Amino acid sequence: MYLLELLLVGLVWGCTYAMMALGLTLVYGLLRILHVAQATVFTLGAYVGLLVANHTGSLALAFPAAALSAAALGPLIYRLVYQPMLDKPPYVALVASIGLLIAMEDGFRLLFGPYGLSFTRNTWFTTTYSWAGLSLNVVQISMVIAAVGLLSAFAWFATRTRAGVAWRATVSDPAMAESFGVGVSGVRYQSFFIASALAGVAGVLVGLLNNLVEPGMGAMIGYKGLAIIVLGGLGNVPGTLVASLLLGVIESFGTVYLDKLLDRDAIAFLVLIVILMIRPQGLLGKAH
Amino acid sequence: MLELQGFACGYGLVRAVETLDLKVEAGRITALLGPNGAGKTSTMMAIAGHVQVQAGRIMFKGEDMTGLPPAERTRRGIAIAPEGRRIFPDLTVAENLLVGGYTLPLIEARRIEQSVFELFPRLAERRRQAAGLLSGGEQQMLAIGRALMAKPKLLLVDELSLGLMPAMVEQCFEALLALKRQGLGVLLVEQNTHRALRVADRVAVLVSGRLAYEADGEQARKDPAMVDSFLGLR
Repeated sequence: MYLLELLLVGLVWGCTYAMMALGLTLVYGLLRILHVAQATVFTLGAYVGLLVANHTGSLALAFPAAALSAAALGPLIYRLVYQPMLDKPPYVALVASIGLLIAMEDGFRLLFGPYGLSFTRNTWFTTTYSWAGLSLNVVQISMVIAAVGLLSAFAWFATRTRAGVAWRATVSDPAMAESFGVGVSGVRYQSFFIASALAGVAGVLVGLLNNLVEPGMGAMIGYKGLAIIVLGGLGNVPGTLVASLLLGVIESFGTVYLDKLLDRDAIAFLVLIVILMIRPQGLLGKAH
Repeated sequence: MLELQGFACGYGLVRAVETLDLKVEAGRITALLGPNGAGKTSTMMAIAGHVQVQAGRIMFKGEDMTGLPPAERTRRGIAIAPEGRRIFPDLTVAENLLVGGYTLPLIEARRIEQSVFELFPRLAERRRQAAGLLSGGEQQMLAIGRALMAKPKLLLVDELSLGLMPAMVEQCFEALLALKRQGLGVLLVEQNTHRALRVADRVAVLVSGRLAYEADGEQARKDPAMVDSFLGLR
């Protein structure tokens, strides 16, 4: 039962990682940019969610607010930072992205103080449901529901709508897709919009689970997101989802069985190193 | 229908085509032949809007479209089945066609899809398969089908037979003849000169970026000068 509980908690975290990593892999697939600054979108979502929840007293309202504010910031970052440097080598955008993350972190610190803020009435955290000896609080259940719901919606968009199919065609061959009338610029904004909305929702959920929103909260999950998309085979969406769940579970077991040796956050990168030594193309990637 | 006037194209400082005057008519197959590196593919990609035109004009149905972006050319009636086919390998056959008809309303695209499936029944059988798993011939059919989805007046086909099994080559040429009978103009680049000559109504030979020979298909088929032009003897 204890093992099952560890597995469950691991999958819950895996779902949250998936919401973060999907966006990173989308942006990479389209633009070959490692969008480190997505972490700042995640943090913004958490802050906006917290402020709305504390002002209105409704935790549910925090989610649309977080998603919308994040979905506004992401495309803005693309427009102001990435778009002007698209014809430069990818590492230029990477450096800019890291710089933006650091600057925004200090921006949050100036605006909201260095110690972080808590939800005044975090009932989702304190309400717990038990079933067959396993117990999860409402935040954890929401993490699973949000990830499954939002990722299914994305899958539906990508395979069942003409805009989604055009979006995948653009990832595959931008010049050909453009030739047949697909607006490549629009596809890029769409990607940042989707990626950022997901990150914003993940931000609120992590804020609720820790009952703390602080300026540097995005950095660690952002770096893990990068580890995950490398593991999944860069730009590979199914691989990214598998890697997210796997990392969640490994961390969950690791915190119990490796706690004398390794910090929880170190496990992600240890796994990254080991797997890349065995499968440099990523878990589901094709060998070149 | 399509007219290149004093046309030159290339990449930055490199000229691929020095000067070319060429007319392509509706309801006819015009074959653009020539040795490797003559500038055939560059010409095709320049007509489609992917390679820079460095001099002259591209006229289509009486309008200058030299500077137009690729999608606008597709809207006006030019679609390409490019060299290497460049289908979207991760998308299914049906999804590739869906992207081909992106400039049209969805209902109309569905109707044209039916006519593509009538032309290439093999594509209908494989509509749910990933395009990357198709055989070379099927991929070529898909590349042509995707171009037809845009409802073109002029179809550009670059290297129809390259790497295909003989039976597939036959089917693809048959399809071009059927399209021509429907009134479509076809500009065909083909390394299999003999096969191309058999279907061509008009033949142009490009050598080192210049027009070396031009004649009606009937004449080119029995004209030794056509062969000489390839070798740079004219």
